[in-house]
Amino acid sequence: MDGVHDLGGMHGFGGIPIEEDEPLYHEPWEGRAAAITRHLMSNTTVDRFRWTIEHMPPAEYLASRYYERWLWAAEQMATEQGLLDGPREPSPERNDDPWAEPAEPPRFAAGQRVRVRNPVTPGHTRVPRYTRRHFGTVVRHSCTWPHPTESAATGRHGRPEHVYAVSLDAAAVFGPDATHTLLIDIWERDLEDAT
Amino acid sequence: MSHDSTPHERTEALEHHLEEHGHVHHDDVDAAIVAREMAFESGDGPSPALGAKIVARAWTDPEFKARLVDDGTATLSEYTPMTVPVAVMENTPDVHHMIVCTLCSCYPGAVLGDPPAWYKSFEYRSRVVREPRAVLAEFGMALGDDVEVRVVDSTSEQRFMVLPVRPEGTEGWAPDELAALVTRNSMIGTGAPLRP
Repeated sequence: MDGVHDLGGMHGFGGIPIEEDEPLYHEPWEGRAAAITRHLMSNTTVDRFRWTIEHMPPAEYLASRYYERWLWAAEQMATEQGLLDGPREPSPERNDDPWAEPAEPPRFAAGQRVRVRNPVTPGHTRVPRYTRRHFGTVVRHSCTWPHPTESAATGRHGRPEHVYAVSLDAAAVFGPDATHTLLIDIWERDLEDAT
Repeated sequence: MSHDSTPHERTEALEHHLEEHGHVHHDDVDAAIVAREMAFESGDGPSPALGAKIVARAWTDPEFKARLVDDGTATLSEYTPMTVPVAVMENTPDVHHMIVCTLCSCYPGAVLGDPPAWYKSFEYRSRVVREPRAVLAEFGMALGDDVEVRVVDSTSEQRFMVLPVRPEGTEGWAPDELAALVTRNSMIGTGAPLRP
């Protein structure tokens, strides 16, 4: 989904808030909210958790501190998992394995020119807006992992797919003043051949 | 749950409801917090100290470094359990990597523990992909124009940590001495290791 969480390249944010000797948690509730959220995450997928946060109203998202967003998601997930209504059987036994071998061999190879697709979806996607429709080069096969759109929609992992490290020329994305390189991990189905 | 409540009150209410129905237990939440804090402080579990130990070994053990850069997940699992893949990006005098997660806050937590607050900030997430050198300057780091900056966006479930360049003047140092120079920021790419 095209949410406010997709911050890469946005203008208007100020200096980096660097804090010296910061504590692990700034207030005691943060540690408790984090621990509860992690427990609720263990009943589903991390992508489901991310997609839940992405549903936060944009103004609220930007006005909230980090663990407030976690807490908001925890409240949603606890409701969704039926845990606030009474005792409930834990989630059914999961046999999905994100470390399993993909069904197919990789479609792309290092050095290949590719284009990042624009995954139009109200669901969860890990293709940042600033990378979409841009041409790049596969640097290497990066890893294999289940596709996040499915993991978020179902709360379970599907069959892992190939993920590639793709390099984009920052000047093409952000203009000629940008002289750096962007390295982005993209799932196979979110790339197309551009040779 | 009303959002007029404070986060503290909302956390208490959520924990209370979940505990009432047997889904979480107060003591387990306590234990989870203590375990994270202990790992962070002792350096035995996920923490910058664990990362520093691994970096120092890579600086002194070429065979280990080769394995670490070639297959981070397998090599790091010798130190700590890997729940997701982790890749190690090697900085050199010519190439400087910086890690970000523009979409949320993905970080190599299995190795380094929880990220610093600035890593999760809107400011860092929005800006570093567009103007990495300006961001680096705010961390007090300047790179020569001839250094290629590579900004790595953690968009997949794979996480990234940086293997920084070993400081000059540390020839013959023992791994323990070297580890003391490795800062958390140097393993994210927003800083260099301390100078001897």
